[in-house]
Amino acid sequence: MRRAAFISAAVIAALLGSSACGGPSGQKAADTPQVSADGAGFGTLPTERGTPTEGGVVRIAQSPGAGPNYIFPITPAANGSVYNVYQLQDMLFRPLYGNAVGADPKIDAKESLAAEPTFSNGNKTVTIPLNDTFTWSDGKKVSADDVVFYVDLLKAAVKEDAANFGNYTPGYFPDSVASVKARDATTVEMTLTKAFNPQFFLQNQLSLISPLPSHAWNKASVDGPALDFTVPANAKAIYDFLAKQAGQLTTYATNPLWQVVDGPWRLTAYNANTSALTMKPNEAYTGPQKPHISELQQVAFTSESAQFSQLRSGQLEVGAVPFTSLAQAPALQRKGFDVYGYPSFGFAYMIFNFKNTTGHFDKIIAQPYVRQALAHLQDQPALIKGVFRTAAVSSYGPVPAVPKTDFTPADAAENPYPFDVAAAKKLLADHGWDVVPGGSTTCTSPGTGAGQCGAGIPAGTPLTWNMFYGNQPAVIEQQVTALISAAKQVGITISSSSKTFNYLIQNFSTVSAKVNNDKWAMVDFGGFSVSNYPTTNQIMNTEGSYNFGGYSDPKADELIQASVFGDDSQAVAKEASYLSKSVPAIFQPNVDQVFAWSNKLSGPPGSFASLTQYRLNPEYWYFTQ
Amino acid sequence: MDAIGAYLLRRLGVSLVVLIGISVLVFVLLHTISSSPGRAVLGVQASPASVAAFDHAHGYDRPLPLQYLSYLGDLLHGDLGYSYKLNQSVVALLGQNSGRSALLTGVALVLAVVVAIPLGILQAVKRNSAIDNGLTALAFTLYSIPVFFLALVLIEVFSLRLDLLPSQGSQATTVLGVLADPVSMILPVVTLTAVSVAAFSRYMRSAALDNLAQDYIRVARAKGLSERQVIGRHLLRNSCLPIITLVGLSVPALLAGNLIVETVFNYPGLGLLFFNSLQKEDYPVLMAYSLVVGALTVLGNLVADVALAGVDPRIRLR
Repeated sequence: MRRAAFISAAVIAALLGSSACGGPSGQKAADTPQVSADGAGFGTLPTERGTPTEGGVVRIAQSPGAGPNYIFPITPAANGSVYNVYQLQDMLFRPLYGNAVGADPKIDAKESLAAEPTFSNGNKTVTIPLNDTFTWSDGKKVSADDVVFYVDLLKAAVKEDAANFGNYTPGYFPDSVASVKARDATTVEMTLTKAFNPQFFLQNQLSLISPLPSHAWNKASVDGPALDFTVPANAKAIYDFLAKQAGQLTTYATNPLWQVVDGPWRLTAYNANTSALTMKPNEAYTGPQKPHISELQQVAFTSESAQFSQLRSGQLEVGAVPFTSLAQAPALQRKGFDVYGYPSFGFAYMIFNFKNTTGHFDKIIAQPYVRQALAHLQDQPALIKGVFRTAAVSSYGPVPAVPKTDFTPADAAENPYPFDVAAAKKLLADHGWDVVPGGSTTCTSPGTGAGQCGAGIPAGTPLTWNMFYGNQPAVIEQQVTALISAAKQVGITISSSSKTFNYLIQNFSTVSAKVNNDKWAMVDFGGFSVSNYPTTNQIMNTEGSYNFGGYSDPKADELIQASVFGDDSQAVAKEASYLSKSVPAIFQPNVDQVFAWSNKLSGPPGSFASLTQYRLNPEYWYFTQ
Repeated sequence: MDAIGAYLLRRLGVSLVVLIGISVLVFVLLHTISSSPGRAVLGVQASPASVAAFDHAHGYDRPLPLQYLSYLGDLLHGDLGYSYKLNQSVVALLGQNSGRSALLTGVALVLAVVVAIPLGILQAVKRNSAIDNGLTALAFTLYSIPVFFLALVLIEVFSLRLDLLPSQGSQATTVLGVLADPVSMILPVVTLTAVSVAAFSRYMRSAALDNLAQDYIRVARAKGLSERQVIGRHLLRNSCLPIITLVGLSVPALLAGNLIVETVFNYPGLGLLFFNSLQKEDYPVLMAYSLVVGALTVLGNLVADVALAGVDPRIRLR
């Protein structure tokens, strides 16, 4: 869900890679790199260098099978992906609040069309001052009307069908906007249905807005008259027209609608079959950095191995280094590429099913000491070294220590439950379990008192349950296997089975597949990417739409409530810190997204680091002399 | 109506029933696997409200028989559905990809036949010679190498190390565009051809060996025909029967595409479209693809049967 929320684990899976090798892996172990100095990245981010030249063509690889295919910035759920939003729409149509150029997820005023909003009336009125420096490519100023236009169309879209907007959650944006108006050409005023935490509303909701050229798009047919979009019926007609135009992929580069842009780029070619596309600089761009290069080609690929072969043969200036080919990073460097990786902002986790009554699992997993024991059984350093080949970073909660945001908890880098089989064993033994390493640990002291197993756990109950996990990427299975092996050391038996990602999300959710509640105890499908304001609202709160395991903790609910509706700007950090200690799930290492680019290409380091967050900032790149 | 006409009509009728059976089976299986197509299409990030709205808007919350009848009705009007993931109609997707797939597989198939037939004959005639043993070893090697591995080796050698050929197939969107860029198609075609030649030549060798032992070959030789005439006029025609069957069975692959070669050589076609749709549970594409493959399988068998009757007068179509 764009900046606001979540990107499916499929994205993570795709970037981890499941392809065959990209060529012979003849690198010696000594060649295998490459942990950066701070231990968080893969390799080192090169500094800006050389004398910039103007012009040149950059060919960058699209993620295999995931090229952009929806240009209209009100993106339906079916097309909601970082590739559509970050790698196409945002490059043409600047978001109201743009992210800083770099890996750290934070809003940057320089990259935004508006200055920070002010909240008044008990946080129920939001005033947004637009910068008057941005113009559309046809010369018109980006105005407050363009923001209102977006909101009105969005309201019409979700009223027509909730699936018309991938970021839609009932009660939140745009439902949360009772009214919106242009107070003057550069000021937007919103009245909200209720008070929201200003940081949440800014970072998670307002950041969804991409002002649209109301003067050019306010019509319901190609040659139709200009319509008053503040009339809901007109807004619906306009939305329908634009959405229909967005379904004509073969016209993306030629439709005059999509040529009215306020971003640094304009689309000049688009292949409807492969999603390959070409962009050229928007000569009328008035933003912070006009492109140096004369053309950006996003090249489509069918597989990671195909992409990597092209990269190695010098047919690409920028491309991903597949996880399975990390050992070839030194060879790439010798061929004139810079190689760098960093984790994307988000978390991966193994989910507990708190509503599975089979074998009293719901009662067992409700015990914090059981969850803590399980957390002690995950050896993150060993996983990073053995499974992730050093291209990952430890992560202990819903907000990782890196990339760093303004809301990263101070204790994000501290593992509250480091790998310690003896500690896990002690936790169980201290709570009435007869721990049989390699065998079957059973409850011998039922009851709710100190030193007893806990409510609802009868004597003789074994610690035995099942677990399902995604069949790709392979690292998921490897992590599951490692946990099962460690669990066996304290007499916990976990049987496992792999399924496709889609099967997992359709069948193993206590929210949307209640009928299966007693069929699964744990699931690992990957994880989530999160917004700049990383609340776990909808994921960890009791009524959350994506609370797959049915986790319910009044304290967590209270903290999440404060993050979303309270007034404390650091509420979300407190929420994250609490959740990392209460173990609602087993949090896993975050994998680095590794990229390589020609060392003839340079620019501010952040413009390359942003690749790791799926964002493209090629306007900052240049070829060196 | 002559015998062949009646035969074809009868086979087409049976084919129609088979196709309907395939469509029912695929439809039921796909909908059984997934409890909520909306969830599959919209993904984990979609809210329950969006999923419910999607399922309702597209009729996925209706009884399965009604959904099928609705699908069948659309099908009869030439509407194969819409890929929500790819934001295009299925007809457009099939149109964009089928020509490229057919060209790649078709060229490879023709080359494989052209190479395998003489190779098989040669091996049979030179049975147990050094040539036969060498070619047998080569055929077994090629046959046992996974296609993706062979493709990667070819890329590594001819593209990355020798820099002689591109590492990817043509990126042209039309068949004519692909034909105008033949060099980029060399490695994909060679990969597919090599594997097919290995299989076809073994069938050809075996059939030729059988025929060489037949009386009519001896009679031909006894009549004083040269070895070239014996092979050309008698052995070749009779030994080709298994190849005709094999080619007939290969027809579905012509349009269905070759997933692995398309994937490794960055040559998007129908095979890859199917694979990606399978990953995303893109129902309309999966249904259409299954129907196309089913139709081609039926068609391929029919063509093979008719061709066999044409080549071998002993076979009569009834």
